[in-house]
Amino acid sequence: MGSFLKKDLLVFWRDRKEVLIALLLPIILIVVLNVALSGLFTDDGESMDIQVGIVEEDNSLEGLERFEEAVNEMDLDQAEKEAILQQTSVFNPSEMIISFFDNPEIKQVIHTKNVSEAEAVELVEEGDLHAFVRIPEGFTYAILSSIMLDEEADVALSIQAEEQSNELNTLQNMMNNFIESINLELALGTIAEGEAQEPLLPQGGREVIEGVETYSFTQYITIAMSTLFALFMAQTLAMKTVTEKRERVFNRIILTGSHPFHYLMGKTLATFILSWLQIIITFTISQLLFDVFPDKSLEFWIGLLIVITAFALTISGLTALFTSITLNLQDTNAASGIFSLIIMSMAVLGGNFTPIQILPAFLQRIGEWTPNGLSLTVILEWIQLNNSGNLVIPMGILFGYFIVFLMLGMAIFPGRGRN
Amino acid sequence: MLETIKLSKTFKEKKAVDEIDMYLDEGESVGLLGPNGAGKSTTISMISSLLKPTSGDVKLNGKSTIKNPSEIRKVLGVVPQEIALYEELSAYENLKFFGKIYKVKKELLEIRIQEVLEMVGLKDRQKELVKTFSGGMKRRVNIAAALLHKPKILILDEPTVGIDPQSRNHILETVKKLNEETGMTILYTSHYMEEVEQLCNRVYIMDHGRVVASGSKSELLSILSTEDTIQIQLSKKSYPLLESIKGMEAVRRVEETNEGIRVISKKGSNILSDLVHAAEKVDIQIIHFQMEDPSLEDVFLHLTGKTLRD
Ligand SMILES: Nc1ncnc2c1ncn2[C@@H]1O[C@H](COP(=O)(O)OP(=O)(O)OP(=O)(O)O)[C@@H](O)[C@H]1O
Ligand SMILES: [Mg+2]
Repeated sequence: MGSFLKKDLLVFWRDRKEVLIALLLPIILIVVLNVALSGLFTDDGESMDIQVGIVEEDNSLEGLERFEEAVNEMDLDQAEKEAILQQTSVFNPSEMIISFFDNPEIKQVIHTKNVSEAEAVELVEEGDLHAFVRIPEGFTYAILSSIMLDEEADVALSIQAEEQSNELNTLQNMMNNFIESINLELALGTIAEGEAQEPLLPQGGREVIEGVETYSFTQYITIAMSTLFALFMAQTLAMKTVTEKRERVFNRIILTGSHPFHYLMGKTLATFILSWLQIIITFTISQLLFDVFPDKSLEFWIGLLIVITAFALTISGLTALFTSITLNLQDTNAASGIFSLIIMSMAVLGGNFTPIQILPAFLQRIGEWTPNGLSLTVILEWIQLNNSGNLVIPMGILFGYFIVFLMLGMAIFPGRGRN
Repeated sequence: MLETIKLSKTFKEKKAVDEIDMYLDEGESVGLLGPNGAGKSTTISMISSLLKPTSGDVKLNGKSTIKNPSEIRKVLGVVPQEIALYEELSAYENLKFFGKIYKVKKELLEIRIQEVLEMVGLKDRQKELVKTFSGGMKRRVNIAAALLHKPKILILDEPTVGIDPQSRNHILETVKKLNEETGMTILYTSHYMEEVEQLCNRVYIMDHGRVVASGSKSELLSILSTEDTIQIQLSKKSYPLLESIKGMEAVRRVEETNEGIRVISKKGSNILSDLVHAAEKVDIQIIHFQMEDPSLEDVFLHLTGKTLRD
């Protein structure tokens, strides 16, 4: 079994794109959502009034469509295409920039105005605008394909101004922070006629959205994103089986006479390790960037670790089940479709995209029973109440899920690969 | 040592393999020839326990392997038609993984990996990822992976398809050496008659799921002892001449070749004078003619009505 585990880990590790998506994307999303929605610059002190023109030449819908087309035309199998598209469905670069400026806290400092490029140039010349930000045509497509497909981005975001000013500096800094924090520097360049200032370090979005809940938005986002991507991990690893089947390695494995359960357990264990690491890394980086859980006790962290471990175990059970299903189905595209559907429904119902409270009551009740919804709820409760008694039953349920998934997976595993 | 008894496989309606009887004696090197879709790979899958036969049996040393395939898996090395390797892993890592799950002893495995790499001539490229290899190199690793556990019987399913002549030669040499030097029993599937002629003592010819002929080279050639082949060089091409020759009673087949035509006729029918007459009639000279010995290729054509590679 050790050999299988090692092989699965190695195969995963070699797929650089997969690793980047698994590790970087959740963090990027946490940072982006956090910056975009909870505001960065409240301690900037002095009130400024920066007038900025936004020249939006990009049609993000069209860009998304084009990206989808490009992915569909690639020489990948359906499963990989779907995985890419699924992961981009939560990610829209143009909109992120727009919503950055829409943030109430940003709005106190920066006043934006949608203008055409010609108008913008004129207004800047006349001194009515400090600068304008141009989102060039094809921006969405370029960013998506640079992040997801490793292609060079040929368009860049630009800031243009007539003369150097404090306002321009602040704008540049804010934009730099924003861009740096989304880790898109590779794709974006900021151009100004004045000299660029040293970018400030990103500042943590520590403020809590007041009133609604006693957990912070940042906390919610961190938990939601890390559990969401752990769910994706179950699918990613199960889909490796498709490759193994297609490339006939699975047949070769059967010919060695090794016990099929070793194969299944290797996959299960690999998923456990990888999703556990993924969640832990996401939490750690999020904590370092934003101090998501300030001044928490050791007991809190241990509790958190227990929930994460139980959840990762459930995820690994899911992979076992998915793997067996894949081996049973002739049509692997159907398998990947089914898994996407299951994962996405779990994510929606479990509150990984929006807090579960906005769903109708009966869906909420179902959502609380999904492993991810359960984990999310338990962690949020743990943050607020810190009552270890609350952990026991949910952990039992998660473990139960693991056992049930694993058993089902073993039960339908095709014994000797004959048909 | 290994035999199939009325081995059959039906997919839905289609009979892919139809009551095949085959045997392999220890140390033999046997060829399995057949056009596309003849059922070669399906036969191999059943022999190697990957596919359950619809009926019939596969016996190893007299014991059925259908119920309990673990014995045959131990002694069998299978080189599948497709490359069955992890593209993202290096040649070495692939071999290490398969060696471990073949349960090659830890202290032997390292030596064994180097041995098989040496055999297929990839020792100095072992650290490179399989996906960066050429088709020929992948094929060679594909073979190496089947040799790790020192199988007694090696089954190769078209191991030289679509690769460069150099890799092809290397593979043929390797298989020949394994058979001659280590006494490994070989079942070699191919589209290439000359490979099988070079490697194998015995040949099975399959078509439409059935064995249509089998035996040593000379036995197979004797199938054609009822035919004469005449190679004729003509002053120019002529369709009417072709037709009139085809119309002769003793003629079985006429094929166009680069220089002229090849006429296959009933043995001893002595059609030469008829041919000369026919040519004179349409004012064409016979520049040169030659009686030809039949080749296995001709046998194949005779049996299946197809050339090997179409
Ligand atoms: N899983 C399957 N389901 C249905 N039909 C199949 C299946 N596998 C093979 N066949 C059919 O069985 C027949 C024999 O196929 P097989 O692959 O054994 O031929 P082959 O002799 O190996 O051909 P090639 O030289 O092209 O490899 C073909 O007509 C093929 O379409
Ligand atoms: Mg075949």
